[in-house]
Amino acid sequence: MAEAIAATAGEMAPRVDDSRGVSRAGRNDTIFHGLCFSAAMVLMATLVGLIISLIIGGWPALSHFGLKFFVSSEWNPVTDEYGAAGPIVGTLVTALLAMMMALPLAVGIAVFLVEFCPKSIANTVAAAVELLAGIPSIVYGMWGLFVLAPWFSQHVQMPLLMSLDPESFWGRLLTGVPNGANIFTASLILAVMILPFIATVFRELLLTVPTYVREAAYGMGCTPFEVVRAIMLPYVQRSAIGAVMLGLGRALGETMAVTFIIGNSHAMPHSLFDSGSTIASTIANEFTEATGDLHISALIALGLVLFIITFAALAAARLLLGKEKY
Amino acid sequence: MNFDVSQADTPSVMVPPPLADRVIDVRGLNFYYGKNQALFNVDLPVARHQITALIGPSGCGKSTMLRTLNKIYDLYPGQRAEGQILFNGENMLNAKEKVDTSQMANAGGVPINGDTARLRARVGMVFQRPTPFPMSIYENIAFGVRLHRNVSRAEMDEIVETSLTRSALWDEVKDKLDTSGLGLSGGQQQRLCVARGIAVEPEVLLLDEPASALDPLSTAKLETALMELKSSFTIVIVTHNLQQAARISDYTGFMLLGKMVEFRPSSDAFVKPETAAMRDYVTGRYG
Repeated sequence: MAEAIAATAGEMAPRVDDSRGVSRAGRNDTIFHGLCFSAAMVLMATLVGLIISLIIGGWPALSHFGLKFFVSSEWNPVTDEYGAAGPIVGTLVTALLAMMMALPLAVGIAVFLVEFCPKSIANTVAAAVELLAGIPSIVYGMWGLFVLAPWFSQHVQMPLLMSLDPESFWGRLLTGVPNGANIFTASLILAVMILPFIATVFRELLLTVPTYVREAAYGMGCTPFEVVRAIMLPYVQRSAIGAVMLGLGRALGETMAVTFIIGNSHAMPHSLFDSGSTIASTIANEFTEATGDLHISALIALGLVLFIITFAALAAARLLLGKEKY
Repeated sequence: MNFDVSQADTPSVMVPPPLADRVIDVRGLNFYYGKNQALFNVDLPVARHQITALIGPSGCGKSTMLRTLNKIYDLYPGQRAEGQILFNGENMLNAKEKVDTSQMANAGGVPINGDTARLRARVGMVFQRPTPFPMSIYENIAFGVRLHRNVSRAEMDEIVETSLTRSALWDEVKDKLDTSGLGLSGGQQQRLCVARGIAVEPEVLLLDEPASALDPLSTAKLETALMELKSSFTIVIVTHNLQQAARISDYTGFMLLGKMVEFRPSSDAFVKPETAAMRDYVTGRYG
C-alpha cells in the first residue's frame, strides 16, 4: 500500500535522484543490518562456546561419577571422590532464602519511594539504595565475617541452641555449631546484597506506570493500597521478572561474600545453621589448589550445573507468570 | 491565543440553576499550582440530573476546575484549592466548616467527612485518554464495584451488563467479556471507562474531554450514552467541541484565564452570548 502510493507519487513528481539516493541508502542499510546482526551473533557464539567448553571440561568428572555426582555429598579431593549434592543444595537454599527475605522488602521500599514518600526524601533514599548496590561484595563478606557472624552466634544461635529441643522440628532446623558461619547468615548477607538491585529496578518499573492509569484508579475511589496492589503491581508484573532474575542471578553466583561466611563445608547441610558451601564458593576455594585432572573437571562440571540452575530459574520464572493475558 | 485581555475583566454573567437543584456548588474557588494561581474566585453551580458543560480556550482552567470536584489534584503535593466546594451539604475543602446548605439538593447517604476515597466513589471521573485497567472487560467494571460493595457473582453479572448497556457498549462486547479491555478500540475503551465509572453508582460523573481522541461515530455513540445517563446521574463535562456542548448540555460555563465569565442555560448561552469574550469564542474569533 505504502509502496504503491510512493510509486504513484514518484511517477507524478520525479524530483529525487533515484539512482544515487536508493543505492546509498541501500548500502548503508546493509552495513547497519550487518553490524547489528553480528553484534547479536557474537553474543550467541560466546554463549554456545561457553556451554561447549563447560561440557568438554566437566565431562571426565560427569562420566566418571555419573548420577552420583549430583546425589552424593561425599566431596573428598584426597580420595578423588566428588559428589556435589552439598554445594548444589547450598546454592539453591541460600539463593532461595535470600530471595524470600529480599523480595518483599524490596517491593516495599520501591512502593514507598514511588507512592508515599515526599519527592525530596525519595530521591535521597533512592540514592542511598543505589549506593548500597555499588558496595563491592568483598566488603559485605568481611562485614559478615567480622560483625554479623559473631553477633549472630552469640545472640541468635546460642539462645536457640540452649532453648530448643534438639529432637523437635525447629530444633533440627535451627541448631548447628554456633560459630555464625552458616547457610542462614550467608543468605542474610546475600539478601542485603541483592536488596538494592531489586528495589532499584522495581522503583524504575513503578515509575513507568502512566499517570493517567494511577489517576483513573484513584478517581474510582481506590485507596493508595488498592491502587498499588490492584493496578500498579499487576501493571509491572511482567517486567518485574527482570528485577527478580537480576537478584536471583546475583544470589546464585555470588562468590566472595558467601565464601567468607558460609563455613565452606562440603557435607550436606541438615539445618539452616549448619555450615555449608555453594557452587561458586567451592570453585573459588579450590581452583588454585586443584591438582588432579578429575578435581579440575569436577569443578568445571560444577560450573556447568550453576549455569543450568540459572537458566532453569529464568525459564521457571517465565513459566510461573505465564503468557501475557491482558 | 489572540484576544483582548480587557475582556477577561468583563463582569461575569451568571444565570445559575435554583439553589434547590444544585448537587455541587462551588463558591469563590481559588486554585494554585504551587505559586501559580490557576483559578480566580470561580463559582460553579451544578444542577442535579443535568449536563453541565465547561468550555473555553486551552489553559483557561476548565480541566483544573473539573479536577477539583473529586479532589484528584490531592495526589500532587503543591496543588491546593481554597474556597468552598459544597457537595451534598458538606464543604469538601474543609470538613469542619459549617455551611448552611439546607436549601441545596441533598441525596443523603453517608457523609464524606474528609474521606477522599469515598468522595471519589460518589463523584466519578472519566479522563481524556481512555484508561482501561490491564484486566478483562468484565474485571474492569467489577474491580470498582468490589472496592465499595460485596456482591454475589450473579449480582455482579447484572451490574456489568447494566453498566455496559447504559454506556452503549454491551452489544459490541457481550461475547468477549473475558478478553482484555486494552484490546478494544479507542471509542469502545472510552465507553468502557464510562461503564466502569457508572457501575459504582456515583451521583456525579465528571468527564474531561472524553471525546477528544474519538472519531465522529464513536463520539456520537458516547454522546447518546451521556444523554441517556442524565436521568440517573449528574454530569459535568469539559469539552473543546462547542457543537458537542450545545448538543448535549443543559448549562454551559465559559471560562477564560481562570475565571468563570459566563454561566447560563445552554439554550440561551449559545444562541446569544452576553459577554463579548464568549461571543468571540463561540464565533471562532479566538481559541
